[in-house]
Amino acid sequence: MEYTNPELPEGINTSDTHPLKEFFLLTIGVLAFIFIAVTLLIIIVDNFADKIPFEMEKNLPVESFITGKSAETLPPYLDKVSQKVIKSFELPENMHITVHYLNEDMVNAFATLGGHIALYRGLLDKLKYEDELAMVIAHEVAHIKYRHPILSTSHGIVVGLALSIFSSASGNAVINQLMGTTGMASLMRFSRDFEYQADKDAVKSLIKLYGHAEGGIGLFNVFKSEFGKESRFEFLATHPLTENRISQTTKIINANSLSSGNVMTELPGEFKLWLKKQKDKTEN
Amino acid sequence: MTDLIIFIVLLSLGYGFGRYAEKNHYKSIIQREKELNSIPAIASRIPPVGRPDLTNQLVAGNVVISVDYFKQFIAGLKNLLGGRVTSYESLLDRARREAILRMKEEAKNLNAEFVFNVKLETSSIHKGRGNGIGSVEVLAYGTAFYPV
Repeated sequence: MEYTNPELPEGINTSDTHPLKEFFLLTIGVLAFIFIAVTLLIIIVDNFADKIPFEMEKNLPVESFITGKSAETLPPYLDKVSQKVIKSFELPENMHITVHYLNEDMVNAFATLGGHIALYRGLLDKLKYEDELAMVIAHEVAHIKYRHPILSTSHGIVVGLALSIFSSASGNAVINQLMGTTGMASLMRFSRDFEYQADKDAVKSLIKLYGHAEGGIGLFNVFKSEFGKESRFEFLATHPLTENRISQTTKIINANSLSSGNVMTELPGEFKLWLKKQKDKTEN
Repeated sequence: MTDLIIFIVLLSLGYGFGRYAEKNHYKSIIQREKELNSIPAIASRIPPVGRPDLTNQLVAGNVVISVDYFKQFIAGLKNLLGGRVTSYESLLDRARREAILRMKEEAKNLNAEFVFNVKLETSSIHKGRGNGIGSVEVLAYGTAFYPV
């Protein structure tokens, strides 16, 4: 008996499709699905989250997290400006806002659940004018006004849960990371929208209090010099690019036909001195 | 952002080197298959009868091929959607053919006329990150018949 092996044609066990074509179709398809799914999920969540009564937020033990060892009593000047800004918002009666001061170097401020706002010494140190201080406070008050903390928390929980379900289905670390990043990118878009909304109301509050919005531009310029050159990629950032925030503020100023070059109110020397003492306190 | 850049670099490296290696490997496989076609690999278990002039010996060929980052990524996405995992198909095709070739080369050293009862075994020998397949092993073995 004669034994032979025929010469088999190529391509029986392989595909002719170019791997890059498959790569782009698959990647774009999966990422678009995640993006749309997360966006839809957030829209659904938003319909429920803002129905959570503000009183429920207040009952959460948030304050103990903020008032760590660096928390100090608000000096009278800071309290005065805060109250002035809060008043300008004409918030609903049950929406009580508590302003905290934290003696830390961090250049930041935040608003969180239960109507709490925290201002870091690091940021206050960088400010020269009361208008800028008012802009910081007004921005955070606006976050509370629109219930951004509860909305962001709900977004984070729901999107995190959904992504972990997807991740456990894929079981591949690289794919999980990519899905996580896409989920985050879709989430961040909402976060940046919150910032724009807060900026908008903060600028309106400034106009109401000072008759102009120089403080807005002033604060963003402080950010610019403090954080230097930012990445040009906004899509993974929680906050919009400073340039974009400046241009939104400028638009509001123009829409209200306000003149530019207005004089801002300088921060009182007493307050500056107090901040310096606070800084010395941390260094000792 | 850094993660994304690392990911793109790894993906490009995987694609570039993976494609280059695969192209060269196929070229070598096709050429060697032609050369070794004179030693047929037969799946039948029943050895040829009426050939007292031949004796036999076990021959085996073993190969381990690693999956590149690009192939693994495509396979991971396919895992979600289903369908032919074409990126692994060519990988296993290469591994199987290479294992048979190595087995045949061993048979050629014995001056064998043919290899009988050829069998293949496949396993993934290294689990990558997140339990993804890292490399694949294929073992081909059979009974070579060669003149006494």
